[in-house]
Amino acid sequence: MELLATENVEKSYSGYKALDDVSISAREGTVLGLLGPNGAGKTTLIRIINQITAPDSGCVLFGGERLSQKHISQIGYLPEERGLYKKMKVGEQAMYLARLKGLTKYDAEKRLRQWFERFEIQDWWNKKVEELSKGMQQKVQFIVTVLHEPRLLIFDEPFSGFDPINANLLKEEILRLKNNGATVVFSTHNMASVEEICDDIVLINKSRVVLSGRVNNIKNSFRKNIFDVRCRKTDGEIAFAYGISVLSQTADELNTFLKLKIDNTLSPNDLLRSLVDRVEVLSFQEVLPSMNEIFIETVTSNNQSQTAENKEDI
Amino acid sequence: MNKILLVIQREYLTRVKKKSFWILTLLVPILLVALYAIPIYLATNSLEVTHVAVVDETGLYNDFRSSDNVVYHYMADIDIAQKALGKADTVEAIVYVQKPKSGIVPTEIFVYYSKDAPSPSVKSGIDKQMQDMLRNNILLDVYNINREDYEKITNTSVNLHVQDLDTGESDFSSMRMVIAFVLSLLIYMAIFIFGSQVMRGVMEEKTNRIVEVLVSSLKPFQLMMGKVVGVALVGLTQFVLWIVLSGSIITAFTIANADTFDKARQQEQIDMLKSRGVSVEQIAAEMSDTDMPDTDMQTEMVQGLLHIQFGVIAVAFLILFILGYLLYSTLFAAVGAITESEQDNSQFVLPLTVPLLLVIILTPTLIEAPNGSLAIWLSMIPFTSPVAMMVRVPFGVPIWQIAVSVGILALTILLTVWVAAKIYRTGILLYGKKITYKELWKWLRFNN
Repeated sequence: MELLATENVEKSYSGYKALDDVSISAREGTVLGLLGPNGAGKTTLIRIINQITAPDSGCVLFGGERLSQKHISQIGYLPEERGLYKKMKVGEQAMYLARLKGLTKYDAEKRLRQWFERFEIQDWWNKKVEELSKGMQQKVQFIVTVLHEPRLLIFDEPFSGFDPINANLLKEEILRLKNNGATVVFSTHNMASVEEICDDIVLINKSRVVLSGRVNNIKNSFRKNIFDVRCRKTDGEIAFAYGISVLSQTADELNTFLKLKIDNTLSPNDLLRSLVDRVEVLSFQEVLPSMNEIFIETVTSNNQSQTAENKEDI
Repeated sequence: MNKILLVIQREYLTRVKKKSFWILTLLVPILLVALYAIPIYLATNSLEVTHVAVVDETGLYNDFRSSDNVVYHYMADIDIAQKALGKADTVEAIVYVQKPKSGIVPTEIFVYYSKDAPSPSVKSGIDKQMQDMLRNNILLDVYNINREDYEKITNTSVNLHVQDLDTGESDFSSMRMVIAFVLSLLIYMAIFIFGSQVMRGVMEEKTNRIVEVLVSSLKPFQLMMGKVVGVALVGLTQFVLWIVLSGSIITAFTIANADTFDKARQQEQIDMLKSRGVSVEQIAAEMSDTDMPDTDMQTEMVQGLLHIQFGVIAVAFLILFILGYLLYSTLFAAVGAITESEQDNSQFVLPLTVPLLLVIILTPTLIEAPNGSLAIWLSMIPFTSPVAMMVRVPFGVPIWQIAVSVGILALTILLTVWVAAKIYRTGILLYGKKITYKELWKWLRFNN
């Protein structure tokens, strides 16, 4: 079941198209990674989902309904450009932001006390924000984002400004929220965290969706038929049959490591058979591309094809 | 609870809780009271005693009377006096009346000093006593004028009553001038003080980057108007506190010092009479006479105060302040949204300050002719009318003119709120970009 979907969303700023026919969907209870280079249009899309700006055409559906003001209380948003009132006290400020999301005074205070206890920051309540370190402020900001228990959470570069310990805490909290049934849209440049957290991804480049789907499927479709093989040490080069090429061969005292690529005509079993005849196989593993490689490959080839199109136009 | 009310509440409470708000709230009445009390205090309780030497070669000025503050010493000739002046702790000034070369009355009289020039009050005391002695000794004795006749002549004064022929009402124009000037200046200052508070508030939210969190919860328009209304309430609170505080301090001060004031006034009158050579017995009888012109003036002022329609003026002041504030503060909010530092917003703030500044500069002219064409035009143009109309109201303005002016102002506010909201909405989410007028024009034409 989809919690959030955009359909053919378009948005232009005077003379410049920020989003072009963008359709994405986030399955309920999963984490959707929203990826793309700087200036691709991610922030514009996120602002449209938050109803900060309106699309020129296309529509956004929330739980099957057309997105409207009443959904604001069901969305939590942690923007990339974020901050708090410096002179305001932490507790007072968190109460204010929570009540703007529609919580009653009583609920807001009760939940805030619980969260402050969880993060062991009760003594911050009466401190001014400017007295806190940047990392501490980020924690407060995170609490405010999730306090009203929204069905949809949007995190834009959530890890920027966090030290590794707090980043890990944040990652665990995001996964915990997901396990409690929340849907998360997660925009980042940190590809390692995408592999750890995301179930699905959408890759936007130059205002268009260029790749989307489940992380596993995408990785699968990008595999290059490359295998890592570790075998008992053999001296000299190993010659393979037609269709198998050796990308690299290294060795230590005991093992020889091979990186092999096979043609489309061959299956992994063919490779294994061929290996068994020649060496003593200790391990055999397919190499799947990392999200980082997929990102770079997709964006680069997309840019090249667009440049080519533009040249044809001229 | 409505979200805009939450914003108003926050804007109001954070400002009212600030120390600077209370410092300003207390400081203004204290300054006001100090302005009122210090001269009175100094006049009644001056502890400095000045010693003045008098060398009179003519014998006309033989009756200098010492007071608490000034002691006069007659000296035989100028050499003795000059020696005394040179020594420390003797005399600080010499009044030297030389025998004139021709005639009886010397026309040039010198006051010498060596270290510090005598204070204005000492100088005026000398001057006053000499005028009185001149009258007594020359007019009365030399020309043989009857003392009673003389008193009658000098005590005769004229009161000018300017009245409306139709209603028989008095004019009280000087009172109106003061009210017009003070209230228009107050509106002018309030618009800029609280308008720039709105601007700084918007800039704070933008540079803090909290604004993106906020606009995911409520509409930019709600945020902007919440701030504008919240700051307006802070302004009104401050006005009320100022009025209540200064009113009560001044009342308390006046009651506590009523004795001092009365004594001071009586002493002044007695001194004045004594200096005319009136005997103590005569003083009591004369007192009521000399009081006359003074009380007349006072009653006229009181009558003026009662007569001027304070209700109308107060209502006009409130309406003009609120409308003028709305007009300018929304524009200030827009300026705050498109700038990130005080330095780069001057190109937008300057055009906003010019119209009202112009009216303030022209206020003396407007007061001279409150129903002249310049005044009427300025009180109709919405960017000048809040102040210009306030200048005119105390002098009486036809109701239809007030209605038209307020109507134009209200319509313009609808327009500026629309313009400001549009600029604000786009501006607050735009970081690190310098915005030009050309850019703004684009925003207004295209729906972003």
